[in-house]
Amino acid sequence: MNDLIPLMVIVPIIVAILLNLFSKQNTTVKILSFLVAIVLPIIPILSNYGLHYFGGHAPLIDNGNLLNSLPSYISDGALSTFHIGITYSFESLQRILLFFLFVVGFLCILTTLGERKRIPGSYMFLMFMGLAAVTAMLLSDDIFHMYIFFEIAIVAQVGIVLASTDDLKYEVAMKYLLLGSVGGPILLIGIGFLLGLVGSVNITDIVYAVKNGLINTSSPVFLFSFGLIFFGWLYSVGLPPFHTIKSSIYSKAVPSGSALLQALSVVIFISLGITIFRIYSSLPLLEVFLIFFSLSGMILSLTMAIMENDFKRMIGFLAVGELGYIGLGFGIGTKLSLTAALFQGLNEIIITAILFIGFGVILYLTKISDITKLGGLIENNPKIAIIVLLGGFAMAGVPPLNGFQSKLMLIQSALNDNLPELAIIMILISIITFMTFMKAFHSIYLKPKPKNLIVEDVRVPRSSIFAMAVLIVICIVLGIMPTLVTNGFSGFVGGLI
Amino acid sequence: MIEYIVMIVGILGSILALVQRDLLKATILTGISGGCIAFLFQILLAPDVALTQAIVGAAIVPVFLAIAIYKTQRVDKDD
Amino acid sequence: MIDTQLAALLSSGSFIIIGLYAAIFIDNIIKKIIGLSFIEEGANMFLITLAYRPDGIVPIFLPGMTPEWFASKSAYPLPHALVLTSIVIGASTLAIMLAIAMVLYNKHGSLSASVILGDKK
Repeated sequence: MNDLIPLMVIVPIIVAILLNLFSKQNTTVKILSFLVAIVLPIIPILSNYGLHYFGGHAPLIDNGNLLNSLPSYISDGALSTFHIGITYSFESLQRILLFFLFVVGFLCILTTLGERKRIPGSYMFLMFMGLAAVTAMLLSDDIFHMYIFFEIAIVAQVGIVLASTDDLKYEVAMKYLLLGSVGGPILLIGIGFLLGLVGSVNITDIVYAVKNGLINTSSPVFLFSFGLIFFGWLYSVGLPPFHTIKSSIYSKAVPSGSALLQALSVVIFISLGITIFRIYSSLPLLEVFLIFFSLSGMILSLTMAIMENDFKRMIGFLAVGELGYIGLGFGIGTKLSLTAALFQGLNEIIITAILFIGFGVILYLTKISDITKLGGLIENNPKIAIIVLLGGFAMAGVPPLNGFQSKLMLIQSALNDNLPELAIIMILISIITFMTFMKAFHSIYLKPKPKNLIVEDVRVPRSSIFAMAVLIVICIVLGIMPTLVTNGFSGFVGGLI
Repeated sequence: MIEYIVMIVGILGSILALVQRDLLKATILTGISGGCIAFLFQILLAPDVALTQAIVGAAIVPVFLAIAIYKTQRVDKDD
Repeated sequence: MIDTQLAALLSSGSFIIIGLYAAIFIDNIIKKIIGLSFIEEGANMFLITLAYRPDGIVPIFLPGMTPEWFASKSAYPLPHALVLTSIVIGASTLAIMLAIAMVLYNKHGSLSASVILGDKK
């Protein structure tokens, strides 16, 4: 059923618009968003692998009658294989990643529904719009289509930040948007250079042109387009020099919103990263750039995280630091490392969602985010403490959780590729991450309770606990049976290299 | 010949817009350079884009800016 | 006399540079936003200039033209379609930025970026 492929983008967009229309009716918003969020993960599972051509514009080579009527310089040349319209390609990577993205999206929406009495329809609009935007980026085989949804994703992210109650949300949103309006056009100019070289914006066509020597890959124009697109990618994923703004975005949003923001960032990271890897893998510069920026991103974010006393900001920095692992996997560039990078990306979506929602419960109960003023909360809700601890273990890579499996694969791939120093740095960073997490965990849950700490006597919303339980079950299942997803990923990567 | 004049007017308009102390004047100059770009699109064989750019660049963007300035302050204080 | 395409490329480059200068060095937030809109317009103009063909025709297929003649003369219409979308996106981002700037002005009583965005935490 290939017709289901565009539905993954269309359904969230239509629902988003409907929710905005019914913004005033609280019950309608709740029921509609809950129902659609629960239906969304089913679509990628039911859909078949394949390509979807918008408007039925298949490449000329698939259309015999038309091809024969054309002059020979079109029908015999490379032009006949080029894609005419926008194309969506749906493969094993897309199926796995979209399924888990929609599951996390559903849990974030559920948490929001549980925590708030009145749900503004516009907030749900933004969440669905963000989901639709990154889904389109992941599915699309068209780099300009990606750019459009990249801009939409930025606006949706800013909107999610603006919906929180933090004092400084406007400042952070403004900074993010200012940087975004520089990053967006720069990405567009990079796409323009590629368009000027190849004459098409379809990624498969560009890759075909690069592989078959139709364009000069050592020309300065090609290098320049690489630089510009890479800059846009750095902005969108929050690697340095943008790690500070990205982590403050996470720390200013509502915790369940931050979980979704991180999921969106990871999917943008993977979709644009794969595009860059496919087009520019012939450049030796690519490996150096990817490893340098990923490593500096990990190290800088961790140093910031250690110093931090505000747990929202700390988790934000840890989340940004973890993104570096995916970049390293892309940078090493072997089949194993790419599979590991994709697996790590998937794990990151799940683990950071647990941490954000878990620490969000603390914020919900105490309204305090400074860890020096908190303590002894394990008496209030031991269940949540255990789940958060398991989430931290998964992030640090303790067996048998999923973080362990993906990090093990990454380290193995670094060793196989004769880069033992990278493996050592990854292990060290993993240890420091765990230490930072344990510091926060200790001072929130285990340290004796300060006298002036008032814990509000409200019940923790059941939806939050349910969401965290589902996520931790996914963590354990993926940790014990990683082949459930890695087989699909390595199948995808095999077609890539 | 006319395209060179339009280009120069557009660039000058954009520079002048950024050195104005009165933000309303800056807004009008932004509209002028947006209009110049729309005209250039016409010369560069893109009439459909020129139409959109003429509406967005010469009318909608200046109006947005003017509303923002009306709601905030009109003079750009240097210090 | 340099040709139109080169001149248009140069002017789109100067729009981008003027915009970048304004976005980085000018303190007033409204002017920063104006500068960002110039970057956007420069990028759009760059794409349109790529599609230009000297002595070409507008890419509209009219009755009476043969396909060969049209293909040898017309400008490349793909960037036009792309830029149409990009113009609209640019305008909507600008509107959101201006709205946030208005909220920030009400909060801080100033349009200076160093006052509004200065405090890091």
